[in-house]
Amino acid sequence: MAKCTIDGREVEFVAGTNLIEVAAKAGIEIPYFCYHPGLSIVAQCRMCAVEIEKMPKLQTACSTPATEGMVVKTRSDRVRQNQKSVMEFLLINHPLDCPICDKSGECDLQDQSFKYGDPYMRYTEERRTYLDLDMGPVIKKNMNRCIHCTRCIRFGTEVAGIHEMVAVQRGSNTEITTVDGRPLETDYAGNYSDVCPTGSLTLKDFRFRKRAWFLKKTPTVCEGCSRGCNMEIHQDANVIYRCLPRTNMEVNKYWLCDEGRFNYHYVNQEDRIVLPTLQAGESYQPTDWNQAIDQAKAVFNGKKLAILVGTDLTNEEAIQLQTFLPKQFGNAPVFHFGTPGIASTQDDAPADQILKRKSRTSNLNGFEKLGFKGFESLPAGIEAVLVIRGGRAEIPKFAAGVKVVGLGVFHTAENPGFEVVLPGTSFAEKDGTIVNFEGREQKLKRSINPRGQCKQLPEILMMWMNRGMSAGVAS
Amino acid sequence: MIMAQQHEPMYIQYFNDECRPLSFYLEKMNGYAASKKAFGMSQDDIINEVKKSNLRGRGGAGFPTGMKWGFIPKQSAKPKYLVCNADESEPGTFKDRDLMRYTPHLLIEGMLIAAFAVGAHHGYIYIRGEYTREAKLLQIAIDEAYAKGYLGKNVQGSGFDFDLTVHRGAGAYICGEETGLLNSLEGKRGEPRVKPPFPAQAGAFGGPTVVNNVETLTAVPYIINKGGEWFSALGKVEKSGGTRIICVSGHVNKPGLYEINAGSMTVRQIIDLAGGVLGGKKLKAVIPGGSSAPVLTADEIDVIYDIEPLMKVGTMMGSAAMMVVSEDYCMVKLIQRITKFYAHESCGQCTPCREGCKWMEDVLERILHGKGREQDLNLLLDITDNIAGKTLCALGDAAAGPVASFVKKFKPEFEAYIRGEKHG
Repeated sequence: MAKCTIDGREVEFVAGTNLIEVAAKAGIEIPYFCYHPGLSIVAQCRMCAVEIEKMPKLQTACSTPATEGMVVKTRSDRVRQNQKSVMEFLLINHPLDCPICDKSGECDLQDQSFKYGDPYMRYTEERRTYLDLDMGPVIKKNMNRCIHCTRCIRFGTEVAGIHEMVAVQRGSNTEITTVDGRPLETDYAGNYSDVCPTGSLTLKDFRFRKRAWFLKKTPTVCEGCSRGCNMEIHQDANVIYRCLPRTNMEVNKYWLCDEGRFNYHYVNQEDRIVLPTLQAGESYQPTDWNQAIDQAKAVFNGKKLAILVGTDLTNEEAIQLQTFLPKQFGNAPVFHFGTPGIASTQDDAPADQILKRKSRTSNLNGFEKLGFKGFESLPAGIEAVLVIRGGRAEIPKFAAGVKVVGLGVFHTAENPGFEVVLPGTSFAEKDGTIVNFEGREQKLKRSINPRGQCKQLPEILMMWMNRGMSAGVAS
Repeated sequence: MIMAQQHEPMYIQYFNDECRPLSFYLEKMNGYAASKKAFGMSQDDIINEVKKSNLRGRGGAGFPTGMKWGFIPKQSAKPKYLVCNADESEPGTFKDRDLMRYTPHLLIEGMLIAAFAVGAHHGYIYIRGEYTREAKLLQIAIDEAYAKGYLGKNVQGSGFDFDLTVHRGAGAYICGEETGLLNSLEGKRGEPRVKPPFPAQAGAFGGPTVVNNVETLTAVPYIINKGGEWFSALGKVEKSGGTRIICVSGHVNKPGLYEINAGSMTVRQIIDLAGGVLGGKKLKAVIPGGSSAPVLTADEIDVIYDIEPLMKVGTMMGSAAMMVVSEDYCMVKLIQRITKFYAHESCGQCTPCREGCKWMEDVLERILHGKGREQDLNLLLDITDNIAGKTLCALGDAAAGPVASFVKKFKPEFEAYIRGEKHG
């Protein structure tokens, strides 16, 4: 392997790797703002400039690939002086509003200011200010905080495939904005906030809800579609505040779509049915677990039953059901369901040219591998249905008169008209394995405790079995 | 337009309207003979002839033209391009305007030869947006050339195809920087690119590209007609061939274009050539190479006016735009105006230039308005240090160099403002 020397240490590298990455691998931090490993290199923030032997000028590490025998200094006086001066230039017009800025605590500009900046401020002129712009429902823009790194512009054109973020004006008046001030259109807009190294582009969804340092982070996988993008759930006191992408070069690189990012909302939504519930007229009546199970059994008693299992459940849950269902319900037909029109992985395909897949549930592939059949329509004569789902699989419409019991995550706003709901756990409240469209097994990790009286599937199944005899089911 | 002595000048005698048409170019200027000759030469021979001529880029950087052409790969999967930088945006420069206005065919023929030498079949003249008249005149000349077979398919029966397009800029200084120009040409925001790749590797539309200044290209027909050695001999200092058109402006009695043999005169002699300082006043300063060149004091003007000698005294020849300042003009006002220009024209990509130029402008303006502080001068010098050499393109240096030189060389004038003895 080729070698170069960074700060006196010999470092191996793969040809073509830039100095920021080569140094990072050796544990040497070269600070930067405009560089992003998933975006093109513009070398314009100038923060990553380093000294390279035999080159008279400082060179930007982001745009310089390491070469055999190259001797690099990242902490020389000249390099430090440049870092100090870039920090000064970036901060002369940056508002000192960290105390009320959402990025505070996880802000590149703030962190690097502490590490590389000078606490003394020489700037006495009036600071530059911009008018605000509404960029639509996802992103809140605060141009005064912007350091013109253009990562957002590059994310839009290079990843999201839409040229909606632009730079207008010139020089010190440069403004990063949208074309004609229009709202953002991409359904990947949340990433604009992720790539922003300051508090210029923040998520409206997360704004002012929680300081970053209070958040507990759980690495998990998005359940929004069959890709299974890697992400982190950020929660505090059992409340999810946001989900952020987690880098996985083979699945989602650095990105997450808005649908996946904001999918978590249903977990905390107020109308989620978190207590065992009986139907009473148009409204739902909470009850206790025993009564609910008894009532469910009563509903099924003597009826011809079919069982629908959501492909938003985990492999572990699927296997438990494979044991449980025949024991309890004999040969009642079992189908998996999730996305209308996507009855099997054959029907699944990319939904855009970025990340999204047509199957809007995460474990279609897993269920298929375990031998579950896809739901298309109820067999003739079915009088009752048990719907088991994680929270995202789309419930089919049943003919009037078909009695339905729900097990899992449901919302009153869905108005499913079920006889009984046995509240289960969402993807954020359990551990488990899901299999994405390409057969990659990935782990869901529990980040919060189940809400209300919601229970894990095995516990509900055990309660069902222990509650008297199995319901008599017409064959 | 005044001719200097010595050799017959190359351009300036043609700077009138009668010289513009193709007919004049063919009859009186041996027009399109050089290209015909070039078509009979090998590409390497042409490039070698240009190397021998010691022709150096006339846009400001002074890079040897033959060497630049030599960087273009012989084989390329993508089309190669020749781009003429006619943006002429450096304040004080107005030579390319007259070259295009009066001798457009010299430029077209120069481009034809250059394109043949590097194997480009499409050329662009990226012309400053403000030059509406010149853009029209160039188009007329190009149409003439197409009509007579000097452009287009199979030029002059040589089998070589060459198309030429005039592309008007939209009024940004930064589009005179070659990679900013290429971005603008491609319809993008006029921002310099990260180098490498250099234009010779990946320039316009990703193809290998030569970018040459107008005056550089107009020298090419002469070099092919009369030989590289002839051209080189016109230059009176080492490594600098041909003549130079100098744009003299400011406080002289006869501002205008002067053509001299490269390196044949000192700054002082050129001021004399332009009729001396306006109104017989004393000289205070000279900005020798466009507003981005560090200033010379009246004591420093006995330097030969050419690339290397000026570099040795810490300034540059740039685009040969000499601005003369007389004794009663305020240097603080002057540098404030120059800095305002660079702050306005900074593209805004690089942190030091975007923030630093405006900061310098603000500090200078404050000084000018009697609100200067003692530490401001050191602050200004610090800012120039933090900009110079730390940006993608040379605009940062262009802004920093003058400020540093003004503050260092005319410190008492700044101090007078700071002490409140003078007001803007």
